[in-house]
Amino acid sequence: MRSLTEQLRLRYSSQTAEVQTAYEAMVSELARSGFIDHVLAVGQQFPDMALPTAEGEMARLADWWRRGPLVVTFFRGEWCPYCRLMLAALEEALPEIEALGASLVAVTPETGGRALSAKRRYGNGYEILSDVDCGLGLGCGVVFQAPSDYRTLLLGFGHDLSVRHGNDAWFLPVPATFVLDRDGIVRWRFARVDPTQRAEPADILAAVRGLAAPATD
Amino acid sequence: MELSQVRYFITLCGTLNFTRAAEACNVTQPALTRAIQRLEDELGGPLLYRERNLTQLTELGRATRPHLEAMLDAAEAARQAARASAGPEPASLRIGLGPAIAASHVASAIRGLVRLYPEISVHFEEADTPSLAEAMLADRIDCALLADGPGLPERLNRWKVADEGCVAVLPAEHPLAGKTKLTVDDLANHTLLVGERCGGFAHRLRAACGERFVQRQCGGSWVQMLDLVRAGLGLALLPDGLTIGGDVAVRPLVEPPLNRTILLTLVAGRPHGAAAANLVKLCRARAAVAATAP
Repeated sequence: MRSLTEQLRLRYSSQTAEVQTAYEAMVSELARSGFIDHVLAVGQQFPDMALPTAEGEMARLADWWRRGPLVVTFFRGEWCPYCRLMLAALEEALPEIEALGASLVAVTPETGGRALSAKRRYGNGYEILSDVDCGLGLGCGVVFQAPSDYRTLLLGFGHDLSVRHGNDAWFLPVPATFVLDRDGIVRWRFARVDPTQRAEPADILAAVRGLAAPATD
Repeated sequence: MELSQVRYFITLCGTLNFTRAAEACNVTQPALTRAIQRLEDELGGPLLYRERNLTQLTELGRATRPHLEAMLDAAEAARQAARASAGPEPASLRIGLGPAIAASHVASAIRGLVRLYPEISVHFEEADTPSLAEAMLADRIDCALLADGPGLPERLNRWKVADEGCVAVLPAEHPLAGKTKLTVDDLANHTLLVGERCGGFAHRLRAACGERFVQRQCGGSWVQMLDLVRAGLGLALLPDGLTIGGDVAVRPLVEPPLNRTILLTLVAGRPHGAAAANLVKLCRARAAVAATAP
């Protein structure tokens, strides 16, 4: 069984040079601007917000984290091949996450029933929230605006984010996964500017295990 | 982007003055200036012209402002939704419904909202599109479901919630009731009821196919039109989004294909109450069809 990181690397290497060039331009620009320095950090309070679930209820994140450790992961949408690999890997890791008394929710800027279709495709086991207009993403500092070359590339593949998001902003989250304790404090974080890099489920599990286990010192 | 940067920028859009914006945001002016500079760096250019006596938005600033404002509003609505059980509840939600538009398009979103605000009261107001647009601009209603078409004010943000087709409604014992679907040729020489508040399909059929029908004007709403159908006064062409019960036959009109798009609309560039903002989120998250750009 390949690690998620290995699957992502293989997927990226199968992309055309044109795609890789657009990715690299976007990634290096985000890296240059010091984007990751401003993402919600370990020790900080996660925003207390409520968002629509895939089924159309309003769900409050604090209701999950009060019950036990909470893993929150941002993804761009099902149009993104790296997100699909991540969602499938999380589906596989879910029993272990739950066995530790933790919950998992995934958050996407997609609208129009797309959270529901993703939830069904990836096992229906974890909640997928629709971060309409990226309010939660903004609160976590993970949102950037897709540069115009990258938009053109996505449009060429038929991925019109203005339709998918219901706005013309072309805002997207960077890959980011947070593990929160029962007070909603970030205890572990993965954040990268490169959409082909994702939190490895084994690392998420290790972070959750560290929270779930009583302190020994 | 960070929430504070965006908040500073939106405040600055209102004051067009760095000193006053810093005061309003309760930060020092250098801190505000640095935050704006970082936002400009990330968005790829200046958002404001800084001249000695004049601060103005650049073209990039003007283009980006509504998107940043919507994102900031979304964050605020999500915070308010999280605190719904603690804070004072929004007392009511007022929704406009354009001619022959069913509330069922927003019913499941209302159900989600009522779980959040159990005491909220929901009001519907049916009227024509210009009246509802005016009522929204005057803040007499929070949002409205309107049919897409020319004449919607630009100041309305809009998201598609449904596509509707056309059905012919006829008395149950009508000879055409034996068919499973109908075309314009089937309707020729029959009496069509034509009203101004019934979705506009009869007008459009005439425009597309000429005067091949007997017409009977019918004021009032589609509900009264149905009563005339039951009395045998003619056939009605209505949107398939309506729930039409009782002793009538409802058959899809397939040729020519007549459609309309139902939009959820809300005044742009204005703060909305927690109830309306979260209703719109619930609708947009779930709407079975994609949104349209304003």
